[in-house]
Amino acid sequence: MLPSSARLGASGTPGAEAGAAPRGSGLSLLWSELRVLFGRRRTWALLLALAAIPVLVAVAVRISSTVPPGRGPAFLDRITQNGLFVAFTAMLVSVPLFLPLTVGVVAGDTIAGEANMGTLRYLLVAPTGRVRLLLVKYAGALAFCLAAPVTVGLAGAAIGAALFPVGPVTLLSGDVIEAPEAALRILLIAAYLSVSLAGLSAIGLFLSTLTVVPVGAMAATVVVSVVSQVLDQLPQLEWLHPWLFSHYWLGFGDLLRQPVLWDSFASNALLQAGYVAVFGALAYGRFVTKDVLS
Amino acid sequence: MGSKDGDGRTMNDSLNRRSRNGPDMDRVASGGMNRAWLRWVPAVAVPAVIAAGVLAGSIPARAGDPLPDKTPAEVIALLAGHRTHTFSGTIEQTSELGLPELPATGPTSGPASAGGAASIMELLTGEHTARVYMDGKAKARIQVVDRLAERDIIRHGNDVWFYSSKDNSAAHLTLPAHARDLPLTDPGNTGTPPPAAPEPDMPVPPTPQELADKFLAAADSSTAMSVGPAVEAAGRPAYNLLLEPRAEGTLVGSVAIAVDAANGMPLSVAVTARGAAQPAFSAGFTSLSLDAPDEALFNFVPPPGSTVEELQFRHPEHVPPTGVPGAPGMHEAPDDPAGSIKAKIRPYLDGTGWETVVEVPAEAGAASAANTLLSRNPLLAQAAVAVPGGRLLSTSLFNVLLTDDGRIFAGMVPPERLQAASTAP
Repeated sequence: MLPSSARLGASGTPGAEAGAAPRGSGLSLLWSELRVLFGRRRTWALLLALAAIPVLVAVAVRISSTVPPGRGPAFLDRITQNGLFVAFTAMLVSVPLFLPLTVGVVAGDTIAGEANMGTLRYLLVAPTGRVRLLLVKYAGALAFCLAAPVTVGLAGAAIGAALFPVGPVTLLSGDVIEAPEAALRILLIAAYLSVSLAGLSAIGLFLSTLTVVPVGAMAATVVVSVVSQVLDQLPQLEWLHPWLFSHYWLGFGDLLRQPVLWDSFASNALLQAGYVAVFGALAYGRFVTKDVLS
Repeated sequence: MGSKDGDGRTMNDSLNRRSRNGPDMDRVASGGMNRAWLRWVPAVAVPAVIAAGVLAGSIPARAGDPLPDKTPAEVIALLAGHRTHTFSGTIEQTSELGLPELPATGPTSGPASAGGAASIMELLTGEHTARVYMDGKAKARIQVVDRLAERDIIRHGNDVWFYSSKDNSAAHLTLPAHARDLPLTDPGNTGTPPPAAPEPDMPVPPTPQELADKFLAAADSSTAMSVGPAVEAAGRPAYNLLLEPRAEGTLVGSVAIAVDAANGMPLSVAVTARGAAQPAFSAGFTSLSLDAPDEALFNFVPPPGSTVEELQFRHPEHVPPTGVPGAPGMHEAPDDPAGSIKAKIRPYLDGTGWETVVEVPAEAGAASAANTLLSRNPLLAQAAVAVPGGRLLSTSLFNVLLTDDGRIFAGMVPPERLQAASTAP
C-alpha cells in the first residue's frame, strides 16, 4: 500500500477531473516513481550486490598471486599494476548475467508488481492515464539501467584505488591515457551498458504487462536475456546475430581503443532503439486493452 | 493525451463488467474489442516500419552522378597511377572459404587468446575489422580490432612497433635505411616484391591495395577484363573492375575491384569462386577519410608493464623469425605459411597467372616444415585432410598441400593439380 499512497499524494486526489490533469503531473508521477523505486530496500540490495562484484574481484586478485597475462577475463592481469582496471574487469564480468538479472528484476516488477499488490487500480483511478503510467514505469526501469553499471564502475574504481596503485591506463591499442581520462572512459562504458540494457528493460516491461505475478515476469526477462546470449554463440544462427539485443553487449571494448571506435556504440544504440520501439508498442497494446482487475 | 478518457472508460467498462455482468455485456465487449484492435496497431506497425527500413537500406544506393565511361585499361591506369598515401579508414574482411569456423568468441577466450597458432586460421575464417591510418609512405598504423583485444602495427620512419593487447607484449624493429617502403602495406609500391621483413606472428588482414596488386599481377592475357556498373564503396563512387580468368585450371571465378573514381584508390576487392554466386572472400573499406590522421597515432611508446622484444632485420634469404614475441623456437621452421611462401617463393613448372603453383621446398635442418606447421597449429591440422602424398587444406578459392616429405604446395588451383605438381620430377 505504501507505494500507491505515496504516488496518489503526489499526483493529486483520485477524484480529480481526467481532462484537467496538469502537465506537471507526468513529471511528478515520474518523480514519485523514482522515489519509490530507489526508496525500496530491494533496489538497494540489487545495487549493493552489483557493487560487491568489483569488491570480490579486487580482493581475490589482491590476496592471490599474480595473474599471468592472457588468463581469465580480459584486463584481469592488469589490475595489480593499475587499480582502475578493477572497474573494467567488473563491468565485463557483470555483463552476461548480473546486470541482466538485476534489470530483469526491476523491469519485470514494473506493472506486474503494482498489479500483484493491488495498487495498479488505484494508480489508474488517479488522472494519469495508462500510457503515461507505462512511460513513467519504463523511465523508472531506465533509471535503474543507468544506476546499475555506474554502480559497478564507481565501486570498481573506488576499491581498485583503495587496494592497488592508480596510474595511467594502457588502452587496448597500447596507448596510455591519464587517470582522469580513464575515469571518463569508465563512465562512457557505463553509458554504453545502460544503452545496452534499454532493450531488455522494454522486453521486461512488456512481459510485466502480461501477468500479475511479478516473479514470473522477472524470471521470463532473465531467461530471455540468457537465451539471446546463447543464440548469439551459435555459429549456425549467424544471420540472426545482428538482430539479438545482446549482440553488442560486449562491444564496449571499442571504447577502450585509441581513437575511440564508435561503430559498436552506434549499432548498439540503433538496435536497442528498435527493441524499445517494438516491445514498447507491444506493451502499449497489451496494457491499454488489459482488464485491470487488481 | 487523447487516450486518457478512453483509458478511463476501459477501466469503467471492466469495473462495470465485474459488478453487473448484465445483458449489455456483449455490446461493451464488442466495443472494447474494436478499440482493442486499434491499440494493437503500433505493435504491428513498428516491426513493419523496421522491416521496411531494413529492406530500403539493403538496396545499394546509386551514385549521384553517373561516372564517365572508362575502358578496363583506363581503370587499371587510374588504379596504378593513384598517389593517395594519406588516409584513415576501416577495412572489413569477410571470408567464407569453407574452412571450419573457430569456436565462438566469448569474453574470456577467443582467437586472439589462442595466440599465434590460431591466427592464420583465424584470418581465413569469419569477419575481421582493421583500422588503417596512413600519412605518407613512412607513417602507418594498422589496428586489428578483436573483441576486447587489439593488435597494432605502427610504423614511423624506420621504427616499426608491434603490439598485442592480449598479453601486453610489444616488439620493435628498426628497418635498414634502404628499406624505405617496408614492411607495412605501401600503396603505390609497384616495384620489385619487398624483401620479407621479420614480423612477430601477427597476421594482418590484407588491405584492398595489396589484394588488388596481387590479382592484377596474376591477370595475364587470358584474363577477361571488363568494367561493371559503377558501385559505391565506403560512400564513394567507384569503378567496378572485373577480372575473369579464362584459364580452366583455376578455382577463381572472378575478381571484382572497386576503384575510387576520384583518386584511383582500390576501395574493395571481392573474389568469387568458379560457379559460386556470392564472393568467398572480400576485403574493403567501410569508411574512408582522406584527411591526415592525428600525428599522435604514429608515436608509439611501449606501455608500462609490457614486455618488449627487439627484433633483428633479416634478409629475405634467411628464414624469417616468426612466433609470438618471446615464444621459444624463434628460429625454427616458419609457422606462417604466407610469410614463408613470400620469403621463399618459387614459381613452379609451367603454372603462370591464375594457375601458378608455388612450392616451398623442404629445407635441410627444418626438413619437416609442413609437419611443424601442423603440429603447432592444431586447428590447421584439424582442417587439413589426409590425401595420397600428404595433407590437404582445401578451400573454395585455394588449396594448400603439405606433402609427407615436408614440402608445401599452394595455389588457386584444384587439389589434383597440386598433387600432380608434388609428384612431378
